[in-house]
Amino acid sequence: MRSSLLLLAAMGLAVPAASQRRLPVIIPLGRSSPQPPQLTGIDALRADFLARSGGDTVFFGANSAILGPPAQLKLQAQALWLRQHAEVLVRIEGHADPGDTRDHALAVGARRAEEVRNYLVLLGVPAAQLTTMSWGKERPGLPRAVTVLVR
Amino acid sequence: MTLPPRLILSFGLTLLAVPARAQEPGTAAAAVVAVPPLSTPSDKQTSAGGTLSLAWQASQLIAQDLRTTSEIMPLPPKQKDYYSYPEVTAPTFSRWRSAGAKMLVTGFVQARSDERVTFGCYVYDVDKGREVARKGFVVAPEEWSRAAHKCSGLAYTAVTGAPGIFDTRIAYVAEGGASSARVKRIAIMDSDGTNHSYLTAGETMVLTPRLSPKAARLAYVSFAGGKPQVQLLDVASGAQRLLVANDAISFAPRFSPDGTRIVFSMMLGANSDIYIAGFDGPIPQRLTTSPGIDTDPSVSPDGSKIVFESDRSGSQQLYVMSADGSNQRRLTFGGGWYAAPEWSPDGEWIAFTRRGSDGRRIGIIKPDGTGEKLLTAGPGDEGPSWAASSRELIFQRSDAAGSTGIYRLSLDGSEPRNVAIPQGGSDPDWSGLMD
Repeated sequence: MRSSLLLLAAMGLAVPAASQRRLPVIIPLGRSSPQPPQLTGIDALRADFLARSGGDTVFFGANSAILGPPAQLKLQAQALWLRQHAEVLVRIEGHADPGDTRDHALAVGARRAEEVRNYLVLLGVPAAQLTTMSWGKERPGLPRAVTVLVR
Repeated sequence: MTLPPRLILSFGLTLLAVPARAQEPGTAAAAVVAVPPLSTPSDKQTSAGGTLSLAWQASQLIAQDLRTTSEIMPLPPKQKDYYSYPEVTAPTFSRWRSAGAKMLVTGFVQARSDERVTFGCYVYDVDKGREVARKGFVVAPEEWSRAAHKCSGLAYTAVTGAPGIFDTRIAYVAEGGASSARVKRIAIMDSDGTNHSYLTAGETMVLTPRLSPKAARLAYVSFAGGKPQVQLLDVASGAQRLLVANDAISFAPRFSPDGTRIVFSMMLGANSDIYIAGFDGPIPQRLTTSPGIDTDPSVSPDGSKIVFESDRSGSQQLYVMSADGSNQRRLTFGGGWYAAPEWSPDGEWIAFTRRGSDGRRIGIIKPDGTGEKLLTAGPGDEGPSWAASSRELIFQRSDAAGSTGIYRLSLDGSEPRNVAIPQGGSDPDWSGLMD
């Protein structure tokens, strides 16, 4: 998952316009169209954010809300982009492990989202650009992760 | 007559003070209880059929209720066993002794001039040849099943000493769709699976429905506002509102046993603490302040204490505090992680989910920290909720493929039993006895 995200971003692949909600969508390479579609508006912003920051998702260790060096690198790139796009709002969504219990998972996801938010603020992103929420363990496809979504 | 449809008027004293045969969980074989057909003084038409027909249906339902327990083995009614009206109050005990019955449940259904019906319910100790409990219920004819459930409860209490669980409701999260894109809806049903309905439409994520003690209200977590927040719902009218009118993440609601207050947790930054709020009252009061995740509060039946989980020690453990937040002390030291505690209605036990190397399992521990027992083998069990009897739990079990179901578990150590629901289900919650 992590390496796919990086690969996708490094190749500058754009994201299909139909994908409004959840980014990035990983396109199987063999089936992707040779010409990426032209993107405008928020979709273009999202694609640019992904391409410049190396992905929207950072990962955590089990039961941890501590940002490791790979996550910090990605967030530094995100912070740079967000400071250049002060008009863009992002939602920071935290996720917990499916093995966690329901309510503790909600708090763990929120704690991770808060950690990402605090780091972005530390790097100079205005807090008004950022909102946080938690999915707990309700999105099992993204365990122990935080996604920063342009909205 | 304009009575609320689900209101039951009960009359007559419950004569029973001391249970005829108090059984401890895990001991004694099931008591055989005879359930002959209920009688009627005269077969009168009602809006739900003749009283003789109602009596027959009620007898079958009583036997069916008692069969779901591990403490009682019912001798079900037989159509050919005519049971006369005088026999209701003057049973032929020798007949039931020879059938092997220890107890006898009988009664009558009588039409009233106000178009309702009276259910008389009698419980006898067959060995001693005497009445041990009696109760009457006046209901609309369409509500006959609730009167039957009440009668089953009277028999259950006579045998076990514990409250009957038949006139209770269960709320849970109905789960449809693929595991990657679950559609979740709050569902509610009677404890025997009837009267099933959905309370939310499925367009937003919902979690952890928690019923008020008499099942009139429901607190749950909704993502409708873009983040998890506690919503309050009136079950009959469907009216909803946010518990706390702010922008914070709130979750893990539970009603106090008297139904007047709600304990829950709310995030402030990366910190989750326990709060208590009146149902209609002023702003919530904060009860914990430790850094870390304090959540899943549950109030003791006398209202004096709250059990909750906290990771302040570095791992999730159970803690008990006074209801004002003072005297916080750790309860669990057994190794592994402990979560989602719920205090039993009789105050004797605290049920929990334990996370360990063998997955998630359901267990119980006494409020003084002794007597810890794991009741399920796991590995995907979670979120126990007590029956009103304090002798059974309902919980969620997930399999490796991610599909979830609801199970009932008796404290006597028998295997959990699957609860039949239309789809997958999670986060079950069992109400107390209804009025």
